[in-house]
Amino acid sequence: MRTSRTLPGLLCLCLLSLAGCSLSPLARNTAAFSSAASLVTDNTQNAYRIAVRLNEEAQASLLVARFDSPQPMDPHSIRPLIDDKGLRARTDVLDGLRTYAQTIADLSSGVSSPELDAAAAACGTNIKSLGDALASSTPIGINITPTESNAASTALKALGEFLTARKVKSSVPAIIRDMDPTVASLSRLLSSDIDILRDQAGRDYEQILAQEDSFIRHAGSSLSPSERRAEIQRLPRILSSKKATDDLLADLQISINKLAVTHHALAAAATSKDTSSLQARIADLRASAKDLTSFYDSLSASSK
Amino acid sequence: MPPTKSSAQKSTATPRTVAAPEAPPTSLPPVLSNPDTIETYKALYDILGRAYWEASDLNAKDTIQGARDAIYQILTDLNVAKLEANTALFLSLKSKIKDSNKALDKIKDDINNITKNIATASSVVAAIAKVLSLAPALA
Repeated sequence: MRTSRTLPGLLCLCLLSLAGCSLSPLARNTAAFSSAASLVTDNTQNAYRIAVRLNEEAQASLLVARFDSPQPMDPHSIRPLIDDKGLRARTDVLDGLRTYAQTIADLSSGVSSPELDAAAAACGTNIKSLGDALASSTPIGINITPTESNAASTALKALGEFLTARKVKSSVPAIIRDMDPTVASLSRLLSSDIDILRDQAGRDYEQILAQEDSFIRHAGSSLSPSERRAEIQRLPRILSSKKATDDLLADLQISINKLAVTHHALAAAATSKDTSSLQARIADLRASAKDLTSFYDSLSASSK
Repeated sequence: MPPTKSSAQKSTATPRTVAAPEAPPTSLPPVLSNPDTIETYKALYDILGRAYWEASDLNAKDTIQGARDAIYQILTDLNVAKLEANTALFLSLKSKIKDSNKALDKIKDDINNITKNIATASSVVAAIAKVLSLAPALA
């Protein structure tokens, strides 16, 4: 009887140790990667919005400058830098990347689930009911105590977690490896986009600057001294924004490149026990992405 | 106004070029697909920019800026075309990422099945217990 009472507890310990120990590095790394990837994704989507809005501003500025000229600009000729289809394609891909990163993190760390807990608890309760039914309907003297039914629930939960962990360990690393070339291609493509956005943003600011200068000079004395002063003071602020935007895009490009390198290290580490260099890369990527996020926040705050 | 960030090593004039995944298909006229032509336009835009700020006469400034505006529009159209070409590449990557997410969903389903199997076992035990609880009454 003593042996039968201690068996469920031993089984639990054994299964819990099997389920818990082997997956923690993968779970930790995928969670950290997901968090960093989510930041880079947010920052990239913000960058597209900023670049498109800036180009709209530059085009509007050109429209104003040419309004009274012999060749006025047709407002219909204004096109967005990236049309809706292009923005949607980019948003879909970035959202897909975020989902991928989040799912590998969830799968790797989510060995415990409320559904599994509920199923295991119900099973323990039903075993207790079965014992009671057997005791009352048959001459067999079975008495399943609450402790034993709880032990059965715990053992089943541990078994479920073990099977889940085994499934994750056998499947997720292969998917991460297969995804690696896609993440590398995506990184190069995003980087190519950022090159174009930086190039365009530089000239957009130059246009806004020249149009502002031209406006002040043409307005002449029609501006009051204080209005004129305020308009002239805008000129260095435009140049400052130009530099800040270029720095932002350059930093984002670095983060995107780090994302690909980090994913590559994640793919390699998924099958290796040595994850020290990966953890350093993830920390680096996260720091760089967080720095950008703070900067975007400061941009939003300053535009209010 | 955004705060200025320190970036001693960064260039604001010429963006770094990073190789795209593949050569993007482009709908540009051949002459504008030539990198030398594009660089020449960019250089001309910058030179006209310097001339604008150096000119002291308003008419001269207007003339210079008029030419600069035309080059700006050509270079903007080029960038719009390049971004459109990249859109096609994004669409091709979208399906690959979708496939990976589908494979991950399949793993999620398999894991849910493990839970379902435990729930099914629980239901079987409950059903047996119910039958047995009825047994004394049937006897």
